[in-house]
Amino acid sequence: MKTEYIFFWTAVALYGVSTFSYIFGLIARYEKLFTVGLYSALGGFLPHTLAIAVRWKTGGIEPFITISESITFGAFVAVLIFLVFQFSTKKVKPLGVLIMPVTFVLLGWAGTLMKDVATQIAPALQSWWLWVHIIGATSGFGSVLAAAGLGLMYLLKEKKPGGIYDKLPELQDLDNLSYRFIAGGFIMYGLMIISGAYWSNTVKGNYWNWDPVEVWSLISWLIYGIYLHLRITFAWRGSKLAWYALIALVVMIVSYWGVPFSMETFHSGFRIEH
Amino acid sequence: MILQKLYKFLSSYKLAMALLVIILACCVVGVTVWREAEAGRIIFGTLWFNGLLVLLVVNVACCFFPRMWGRRMTLVSFGMILFHLSFVAILGGIIYNSLFYFRGIIRLTEGEVIPSSEMQSYDAIDKGRFFSFSRLNGETTLIKMHTGYKVKGEDKRAAYEVAVGEANNRTHGILYITNKLTHRGVDYFNDKEGYSLLVILSDKQGQELHGAHIPLQSLVLGKDHVEYSTGYKDNGVVKKDVVPFPGLPERPLFALKTEYLPSKLKERGGEVMFQLLSLDENGSPVRDRPLAEGKAGVGEAFAAGEYLLTAKEVRYWVGMMVRYEPGQPIVLASLWAGLAGMIITFIGRMRQSRK
Ligand code: HEM
Repeated sequence: MKTEYIFFWTAVALYGVSTFSYIFGLIARYEKLFTVGLYSALGGFLPHTLAIAVRWKTGGIEPFITISESITFGAFVAVLIFLVFQFSTKKVKPLGVLIMPVTFVLLGWAGTLMKDVATQIAPALQSWWLWVHIIGATSGFGSVLAAAGLGLMYLLKEKKPGGIYDKLPELQDLDNLSYRFIAGGFIMYGLMIISGAYWSNTVKGNYWNWDPVEVWSLISWLIYGIYLHLRITFAWRGSKLAWYALIALVVMIVSYWGVPFSMETFHSGFRIEH
Repeated sequence: MILQKLYKFLSSYKLAMALLVIILACCVVGVTVWREAEAGRIIFGTLWFNGLLVLLVVNVACCFFPRMWGRRMTLVSFGMILFHLSFVAILGGIIYNSLFYFRGIIRLTEGEVIPSSEMQSYDAIDKGRFFSFSRLNGETTLIKMHTGYKVKGEDKRAAYEVAVGEANNRTHGILYITNKLTHRGVDYFNDKEGYSLLVILSDKQGQELHGAHIPLQSLVLGKDHVEYSTGYKDNGVVKKDVVPFPGLPERPLFALKTEYLPSKLKERGGEVMFQLLSLDENGSPVRDRPLAEGKAGVGEAFAAGEYLLTAKEVRYWVGMMVRYEPGQPIVLASLWAGLAGMIITFIGRMRQSRK
């Protein structure tokens, strides 16, 4: 088996351990399991990083071109944001209960779609705009995933106060944190869309074509734009927005990886008639 | 009275929310129920949908700005103003562009020179009401098409060496997929390319009677399996077929089908298959009994009855997109300004909450 695959599946396995620790920790209301979950996530993050690095090194091509690479990289940034948040605040211990299952499933799915490294990158993609675009997309996803996780914390705490939930921040703070992540994610999506538009303009001379990938990204952006207006101009707070963040996340995943890559668009690279 | 009511309607939060939700719903329908070209025809390209977008911008203008008026300028409000202002500017850019733009596809064979400011030079044209062809004065020339073109070790595949403009004001350059050519604000993008054969008809003595560049279509049959043949495109699908030879406006003698089999070893070398059909009295090809059929190397003669056919050389033809979009810089700059606005608001809020 190739080194890359060993790293990859080790990461998947450790994220699996993390997932089950978080879920059982929540069911059993046993806080130690959250710590196990966090450290197995950290343990999985290392081979996850190495798997990406090895692939990048062998192919010499940016490691996020095919769908499995894209999902792998998205999961990578999501876990990175989660870990940085966890280790810098230590306030929301059960947060991984949403984030780790989502990344575990995503990464496992990416594993089934994995192909050998391409030898060449399509000419249309040979640009550093690709980096701006992808960093916008992945960190946007990581942020709204964290926001949805915080929304879930809010709902859980609101429903059954006491026990392990006492250690969570106050409801209002959870709500605020979740909003912060949404606002950050909204900016990163903005970066993704605008860099995509800009780059499309340099390649094809038009910045917006209403192609399905573009429309899907607009959908996710509008969804979070509506969130922000519900909050700021309509003064929504709390559980309504927490639900909103959770549902929006589903749309997010579909719009990212469910649909666009299965279609013949700009995103499948430029085909040259010749 | 009515004006007041209208203003109240246009400046309500509810309208803003309703519009955002409706546009969102249209987008969802436009990627699920209908897609791509169909979605463009039924939703995104329609007057009512674009009307909604305009209404959204009017709404931003009536709702957002009066409310911000007189408010103390903080980082948060400055960012928000920048963000919503960029929305308005984007619409301005789009409208301006729609009046002056030009989009066309120009197709030429290596060595060919075409007048740029004549409608007939383009396959397809789309333009704004106030576009003036004088912007395109001069000629477009395809000097050479380079295959496997490399820039800093990266394979750009096809690169077109092109010159555009008039004698005293000419731009000469090489364009490939991430590198357009710009002349007087008009951008040239590479779009598609193919082979064309210089076919010479001569009599048995080798006396040349006629010669023409015959463009070939490419049929992609699989990875690394492409056929190049005369034919036409039907709804994006290439069909092999004969072409009249000599071509119109001259009087055709036959119908000719050629297929080019490129050599793997020699660029622009290889073999050519010919099929020659006679024409009936209406000028339609008689398909069941070819006059002659066979193969010859590039540069070699193929004997077809009392004539000789020679594919003398292989050249490339290319199709370029020609675009003049004066509103685009406004739109793109506004997009970046909007992004900056969002970031400023975000930073402002972080600082507020820290206090
Ligand atoms: C119908 C058009 C729109 C109107 C009338 C409108 C109006 C407003 C108003 C009144 C505010 C709050 C200002 C305040 O009182 O503090 C606001 C904030 C904001 N709007 Fe809009 N807006 C519109 C469209 C949009 C769109 C399409 C987006 C992006 C999807 C957007 C993104 C934002 C953002 C990001 C904020 C700031 C949120 C924050 O502070 O975190 N707006 N808008």
